[in-house]
Amino acid sequence: MKAVAVGQAELKLFWRNRTALFNSLLLPLLLAPVLYSVDADGVPLVVGLIGFALLMAVYYNLVTTFVARREELVLKRLRVGELTDPEILAGAALPSVVVALGQMVLYTVVVGVITGVALPTRPWFLLLGVLGGVAVFVLLAAASSAFTRTVEMAQVTSLPVLMACMLGSGLIFPLSVLPEVLASVLEYLPLTPVLELLRAGWVDGPVLKPLIVLAVWIVLGTYAVQRWFRWDPRR
Amino acid sequence: MFALLGTNGAGKTSTVEVVEGLSRPAEGSVRVLGHDPFAERKLVRPRMGVMLQEGGFPPDLTVSEAARMWAGTLTSPRPVDEALSLVDLAHRAAVRVKQLSGGERRRLDLALALLGKPEVLFLDEPTTGLDPESRRNTWELIRALLREGVTVLLTTHYLEEAQALADRLAIMHRGRIVAQGTVSEVVDAYPSRISFVPPEGIALPVVAEVESSGRVTVRTNELQSTLHGLLVWAQHNNVELSGLDARSASLEEAFLAIAEEAA
Repeated sequence: MKAVAVGQAELKLFWRNRTALFNSLLLPLLLAPVLYSVDADGVPLVVGLIGFALLMAVYYNLVTTFVARREELVLKRLRVGELTDPEILAGAALPSVVVALGQMVLYTVVVGVITGVALPTRPWFLLLGVLGGVAVFVLLAAASSAFTRTVEMAQVTSLPVLMACMLGSGLIFPLSVLPEVLASVLEYLPLTPVLELLRAGWVDGPVLKPLIVLAVWIVLGTYAVQRWFRWDPRR
Repeated sequence: MFALLGTNGAGKTSTVEVVEGLSRPAEGSVRVLGHDPFAERKLVRPRMGVMLQEGGFPPDLTVSEAARMWAGTLTSPRPVDEALSLVDLAHRAAVRVKQLSGGERRRLDLALALLGKPEVLFLDEPTTGLDPESRRNTWELIRALLREGVTVLLTTHYLEEAQALADRLAIMHRGRIVAQGTVSEVVDAYPSRISFVPPEGIALPVVAEVESSGRVTVRTNELQSTLHGLLVWAQHNNVELSGLDARSASLEEAFLAIAEEAA
């Protein structure tokens, strides 16, 4: 895979970027107590931490990465090379995704051991949730980058997705405290089905509907990227 | 080498982007090495190298890291050190891209375009921002590539660059080709110039334009005979033609005349 060469370069850049390191590696640790206060039980904590890794290490990091590479004219330069468009995006996304996956494994093992979480009974749902979640948030990051002029602006343009997912998908407070009508609407947010699938790895719960919602988000995200993604800085 | 010249906003870069396969032509068709560069990108890209007018590299990578990244995306790259040596950047290999000067960045861009050992090379203003010495070195490098049989499509603002390097060229104005051919074919359509400062109050034997400084310019399609006539006349009448300057039309004059005509 030629895209790996881009991924390796991105990984070097990641280690040289303090903001990205902080957002990806330290922020989730600071948030652990918040999540712990929501639900001290092991499984929700693991699910919550994975959700945060998707939002911060994958989504937020990649919005800034895509914008930075576009404004530095790196994407434009790569586009006249041999790589295809999806390869360029995948290469640029690779380190963030790898770092996020590493965190997820680490959190799951650490929290799992401390709180005594049992091994997932249906690990394939867990896997589907993680892979689907990564796909959705990579695509959403690429789509959001199209509406972001500068790296600084990413803090603002990523807010709608971040806030909606944090508040609306049961990360900060459980959806069960909300009126039923509202809760059923929030099921259609991109992070909610991911979290439901993750939970389904351990406890029985709906899986068909989350799978469909997630698939629809992936299709929408792919369409949005094809339609709006910008390889050139705005003029 | 084919050079594409044009006035600002003539559409050179847009044209080149279509040929490079970055955008689909609105009408007509483009073939590079026998293939459609947009639809058959996979077949064409490994055989071509591109240096964009504005290309970028992550500022926090070093020169050699940026080059190695690029090499990793290629089918059959030449050694990174060799590519950097070609453009005189080997000694800057460990320097971060953000610390390079504008000219050094242009040369890094050229090194990447050469990494894939291209058969066709696209150079969009390759020497903009280079100091005169680097520009000469780049010209030498391009000449060496041409001798090896590489085909080059050049766009440039420096007309002497096109004059020095190009086998054929075209001049674009507002999206259309207004002149094309070899350098001499394009230039020969324009008159040569003889200019000098005659003594005051003397009647000249030829039609001339007079500038406010007193310098006059004679335009002619037959430089040799007009100049001969003028010199014989001066000798005969004991007239001194100070600051005498006689020259064939240059690409620059042809270009300016075309831009003016078309405007």
